[in-house]
Amino acid sequence: MQRRLILKGLGASAVALPGLAACGTAGGGDVELSDEPVTIRMTWWGADTRAELTNQAIAAFEKEHPNITVKGEFKDWAGYWDALATTTAANDSPDVIQMDELYLASYGDRGTLLDLADTSEYLDTSGFEAATLETGKIDGAQYAIPIGAGMLASVVNADLFAQYGVELPDDTTWTWDDYAAIANELTEKSGGAINGSGLTGGTDAGSVRYWARLHGNELYSEDGEVTLDPAVLAALWEYNLGLVESGGVESAAQSVESQSAGIEGGSLATGKIAMGFGYNTQITPLLAASGADLRLLQLPGNAEAAANFIKPSMYWAVSSQSEHPAEAATLIDFLVNHEAAADILGTERGIPANPAMREHVAADLDEGGRLAVDYIETAVAGPPVAVTPNGGSGFDPMVQRYTQEVMFGERTPQEAAEAFIDELKSEIDAAA
Amino acid sequence: MSATTELRSLGRQGSTAKRQNKVAFWFLLPWFVGLFAITLGPMVASLFLSFTDYNLLQPAEFNGLENFTRMLGDERLHRSLGVTFTYVLVSVPVQLGLALALAVVLDRGVRGLAFYRSMFYLPSLLGASVAIAVLWRMVFGADGLFNEGLGLLGIEGRGWISEPETALGTLITLNVWTFGSPMVIFLAGLRQIPRVYYEAASVDGASRGRQFLSVTLPLLTPIIFFNLVLQIIHAFQSFTQAFIVSGGTGGPADSTLFYTLYLYQRGFGNFDMGYASALAWLLLLIVGAFTAVNFWASKYWVFYND
Repeated sequence: MQRRLILKGLGASAVALPGLAACGTAGGGDVELSDEPVTIRMTWWGADTRAELTNQAIAAFEKEHPNITVKGEFKDWAGYWDALATTTAANDSPDVIQMDELYLASYGDRGTLLDLADTSEYLDTSGFEAATLETGKIDGAQYAIPIGAGMLASVVNADLFAQYGVELPDDTTWTWDDYAAIANELTEKSGGAINGSGLTGGTDAGSVRYWARLHGNELYSEDGEVTLDPAVLAALWEYNLGLVESGGVESAAQSVESQSAGIEGGSLATGKIAMGFGYNTQITPLLAASGADLRLLQLPGNAEAAANFIKPSMYWAVSSQSEHPAEAATLIDFLVNHEAAADILGTERGIPANPAMREHVAADLDEGGRLAVDYIETAVAGPPVAVTPNGGSGFDPMVQRYTQEVMFGERTPQEAAEAFIDELKSEIDAAA
Repeated sequence: MSATTELRSLGRQGSTAKRQNKVAFWFLLPWFVGLFAITLGPMVASLFLSFTDYNLLQPAEFNGLENFTRMLGDERLHRSLGVTFTYVLVSVPVQLGLALALAVVLDRGVRGLAFYRSMFYLPSLLGASVAIAVLWRMVFGADGLFNEGLGLLGIEGRGWISEPETALGTLITLNVWTFGSPMVIFLAGLRQIPRVYYEAASVDGASRGRQFLSVTLPLLTPIIFFNLVLQIIHAFQSFTQAFIVSGGTGGPADSTLFYTLYLYQRGFGNFDMGYASALAWLLLLIVGAFTAVNFWASKYWVFYND
């Protein structure tokens, strides 16, 4: 709590410094549309499909607002964050920024994002549910508007279940014990041709978070402290070690291969495993890559504890360095609130977080979109999750590293869990 | 030649040299601009940043030697040093040995020398590129070409780049494979050795092996030294291969965490640019120390024939 206060103090003093001078102007109430032609820059990560759709949406926006020109820039995930950090450091940040939950606090806490309350005249958030908007707030400041929402799901390959004569599980009751039994059965009945499942966790924040919440634990407290219990994390690894041993889960080396091959080349897409975990919106690329009958099931154990959660798949944010916050906000308003934009963008950035847009696009969805929407409507979510604190943006690669060390037998689960939590804490403390 | 003409010609040479210097300066100017604007400038900046806490998004704050004392307790740094030293100390000697061996073979007047020289040189041109690293990932993946080859021989392969014991080995192999550029330099060096030495040696009844040890090697030591210094510096700076093969993580389980990769992760992945700058300077010191030791040791084994 105290750290947060100190941080705010630092943020306030930083306003006076030249590097962040733009913070001052944004709060100063001079947020208004210019009469002159204005050019704003917008940046996002993603593949070619996204770029094509986004550029179409930009063209539609420019037609409605003839004096605003939008220059779009896009990169892949890793290069995106390098570029955003360096352009922000050079005081040359794009005006409109696609933001991820992992980095929201890293940027928000450091005063580089605009509190969108300042631009409410141009960006209407009244259509959003309060809980959804909350996921874009840090210490009460609305630093970002959620674009889409996703939920963790079990992805099963029904073709492989049929091929090896294994019955599809009842996902309204299944537990982690059931999951293990089914995974082992699949491996056995396939004669080792496939493994029942991929790793059930330790590959990203979502899987660890779900497991923790099942055990009444959370990754972070509301005020950004690490609360993950090492024993809980160790149990997650123990569970997987047992399954790797019995063959239900693919080997450590296979997991590494699968992970580095990305979603479209991973074990689930190539049919090397019959069960895995993913976000519901990932079903579209998975279906396309696998060509198999993939389905989204409730997570094991969720029936008892409702530990699943809604994860904003990404956000729009405005840089505090922007010289044209009103125009930037107008663009975001168009992207999240207008049917003309929703018609173009569809569910490519996730199921729209704005309920009106969600309803609007639901009319004509492809198979993947249909499955994803059905899932999010039936899945039971527990309480919302705390925003990843500043310094926690490196969670995924960090937990993957410790998972590998455990799976390759370099550390015991308990040792690794304690070391992981120490490292995570020191990253977060160092960032504060 | 009389003393006066000698002086006059010296004078002419002097003015020609001056004019040539001027021309050289203009030709070098673009390089100087580059040197100051994109090498020395950032180096000075990073030297300053290495004494600060700098997260890229907020102004840097001076924190004295904290970054350097922090290195002492940084386990991942120690791990990355271990990985990098292994990589340098294994791949450079093997690479140079291979380059020398092939250069000697090619120097024997193989037919189609130009063709072989180009073929062997090709990987050096491509070695540090992203494309080759991607190719490497495919060749040494669990379902890759290498395992298929082994399968034909009835040997069961493994995930060469996805297991910690073998991942670094595949990267060392990749570096060794780019032996072409030292090989070309060796070839040029071999051509410099006067044939009369070999003729004299064979008249004295020295065998081919004896000739290699007593004539070729000693006369080639300056070239070996040059290649050694160059390749060590080059190997310390390796980044692309590990970045692409491990997907930027240095995995599995940090087994391919090159020093430069760790530096990159700290600076860009963790908003830890002050510490990353300090790491960069440590690397400079390490490379400098290696080079200094190399130069010092060269007094004892490098033989200059002139």
